[in-house]
Amino acid sequence: MEYRIREHPILGEIEETKKVRFTYDGKTMEGREGEPVAMALKAAGVQIHRYTRKKHEPRGIFCAIGRCTDCVMVVDGVPNVRTCVTPLKEGMRVETQYGISARPPEKEGK
Amino acid sequence: MKRYDVIVIGAGPAGLSAAVQAAEQGMSVIVFDENEKPGGQLFKQIHKFFGSKEHKAKVRGFRIGQQLLEEAGRAGVEVKLNAVVTGLYMEKEVVVKIGGAMEHFKGDSVIVATGAAEKMVHFEGWTLPGVIGAGAAQTMMNLHGIRPGRKVLMLGTGNVGLVVSYQLLQAGCEVTALADAAPTVGGYGVHAAKVARTGVPFYLSHTIVKAEGTDHVTGVTIARVDENFAFVPGTEKHFDVDTICLAVGLSPMAQLLKMAGCVMDERAGHDGTTPLCDENGATSVPGIYAVGDVSGIEEASSAMIEGRIAGLAAAAYLGFMDEKKCREAISCQKKALMSLRRGMFAPQNKGRKLMTTEEGIPLSEHLLKEGYVGDEEIGRFPGVRRSVGIHPVMECTQNIPCNPCQDACPHHCIRVGDDITALPQVDDTKKCVGCGLCVASCSGQAVFLLEENYAPGFAAVTIPYEFLPLPEKGEKGTGLGRRGEPLCEAEVVQVKTSGAFDKTNLVTLKIPGDMAMRVRFYRKEV
Amino acid sequence: MTDRTKDPGMFVPEPDDDRIICRCEEITKGEIRRAVHAGMFTLTEIRRFLRTGMGLCQGQTCGGMVRQIVAKELQVPPDTLEPATARAPMRPVEMWVLAREGGEEDA
Repeated sequence: MEYRIREHPILGEIEETKKVRFTYDGKTMEGREGEPVAMALKAAGVQIHRYTRKKHEPRGIFCAIGRCTDCVMVVDGVPNVRTCVTPLKEGMRVETQYGISARPPEKEGK
Repeated sequence: MKRYDVIVIGAGPAGLSAAVQAAEQGMSVIVFDENEKPGGQLFKQIHKFFGSKEHKAKVRGFRIGQQLLEEAGRAGVEVKLNAVVTGLYMEKEVVVKIGGAMEHFKGDSVIVATGAAEKMVHFEGWTLPGVIGAGAAQTMMNLHGIRPGRKVLMLGTGNVGLVVSYQLLQAGCEVTALADAAPTVGGYGVHAAKVARTGVPFYLSHTIVKAEGTDHVTGVTIARVDENFAFVPGTEKHFDVDTICLAVGLSPMAQLLKMAGCVMDERAGHDGTTPLCDENGATSVPGIYAVGDVSGIEEASSAMIEGRIAGLAAAAYLGFMDEKKCREAISCQKKALMSLRRGMFAPQNKGRKLMTTEEGIPLSEHLLKEGYVGDEEIGRFPGVRRSVGIHPVMECTQNIPCNPCQDACPHHCIRVGDDITALPQVDDTKKCVGCGLCVASCSGQAVFLLEENYAPGFAAVTIPYEFLPLPEKGEKGTGLGRRGEPLCEAEVVQVKTSGAFDKTNLVTLKIPGDMAMRVRFYRKEV
Repeated sequence: MTDRTKDPGMFVPEPDDDRIICRCEEITKGEIRRAVHAGMFTLTEIRRFLRTGMGLCQGQTCGGMVRQIVAKELQVPPDTLEPATARAPMRPVEMWVLAREGGEEDA
């Protein structure tokens, strides 16, 4: 089963908006222009948006309406961007957020 | 500082309704909403609403949203989107973040319609990706066309949990089970029944022990809880799921009201999360009103009426409408509101355990504990009758304010009466022609057409069907019972779709005669 | 009113004390319970002491759960706890936006 719904019993055929390309941690991906970045990632099977600052735990979409801020990522170099309410644009650079940066923390002597 | 007669905070059903009403009285109105699009949660509601004609019953939520936006446009309401209200002060000054600037506005009246936030519960693994709010699931599939997961466990059997479970099925996801710590289903029985008949099991008095997985959810364990909500050891059940949906209630987002100094409702039976309001929505601060979920969690239909009432009250408060005219207009709206606040799920019945319907009929135990009405229970409800020839069977077993079935029948076979919470009855003196309008009109999908002598040894049952692919005439599959159990072979003898049905398709199944009162769903696989 | 004389008794560890409650600031159930035993009896005090509800989401998610935990620790009904103070900004605002307040010419 794929994540994108093509036809829905109530909403009918889901309109296919313009395809755009963006990068996720350097990898090129495709999404639909104007859909939330988080939706394009979900459609591509990406679930982990960030790792938390203190405990380095994975987080992803939780509320999907911009309230909980769990889905924040580094977008075009800016951290803490709520991907569930940020429209996707051609050429966007989306990166996993570690704490508040796009760089994974140094492994501490492990 | 820009000044308005009315500033509305929140462009959902309550806020937009208030704005339209105020603008129609000649007031200058602006609505602020932090989202990119207006409509609040309405555009995620793809099911048909309950109520009667005046409440836009049997119209799907997102269409009501479209109508409301058109009304707002016609009334000249200014809706400012991506406008985040960060402060509300007693002098009715509103601070709004718009783009990269903090802007200040002054309202001669302010209507707060900020809605509610989802409540949450915690369990081991609840922060894992794949654990989401039920609202998130709705947003993803109904607004953005993205399935939230392949296999989903739903926690919560209130109307949100039930409706979202059904919508997940419609979106093509598998709903593995519903669980709820409460001992009985919290939402409308008809919403539960339409999920149960597809074969989804209900686990009442069960809650989540843990979400499993390291990077994201790969499974879930639930277990039974006792009266004190403590886990009963040895009752654990594991399910392979990739998504866990939480629908454990809503809490009003009343921070702005608190900040403005509005007195919160701490009377007995109120927990201080909603403002103390008069019956027009006026708070303790003159000129500040609260409407919709922020003033108490209810359905969107009630929120829209509350909005209209506050819009009118604000107009009278500022002298845009004379008192008498305002009172008349408000009393008309209140009548509509009161008819929605009746029945078993009315606010005054919250937390009460009811044993019988208003008619004195014992409620279905199976429905409350497992989500479906038992075969041995269904016969006691007035809409369920056997007779010669084609006739409607209305499996409506709880008093909820709703009567589109009565209006739908062109031959007046169905009677609810003036009291719209009454259970529907069949008038045997009127002739059913089998048009199926009642089947499609029932927001709870609880009306079926039955023809018990369809062919020798066979009956025909017509069921509402809102899934893809739509069965085709001539195909054979399995007739399922009320809890989704396979019962018999079923042949599709007719499929009716029509604009008037609004996507509720009518599928007629030929089934063995003794299955007439049992088959209520269809699956293609044998 | 908050009963300042209330004695919550000894802190007894529980198996789920390491569970995150405030998702933004990563505050655990155990930290919240310990804070009660350290004398933080109101939600506002807990918030100032631990930063629960002071992260990006501003307590949207954890508010109710923190209330439940504190109430249980104090052995009082949750709705008798004083609500946390509501004050602006109700939603996160970047510092540069606040800094520009007062007019473009000052910026």
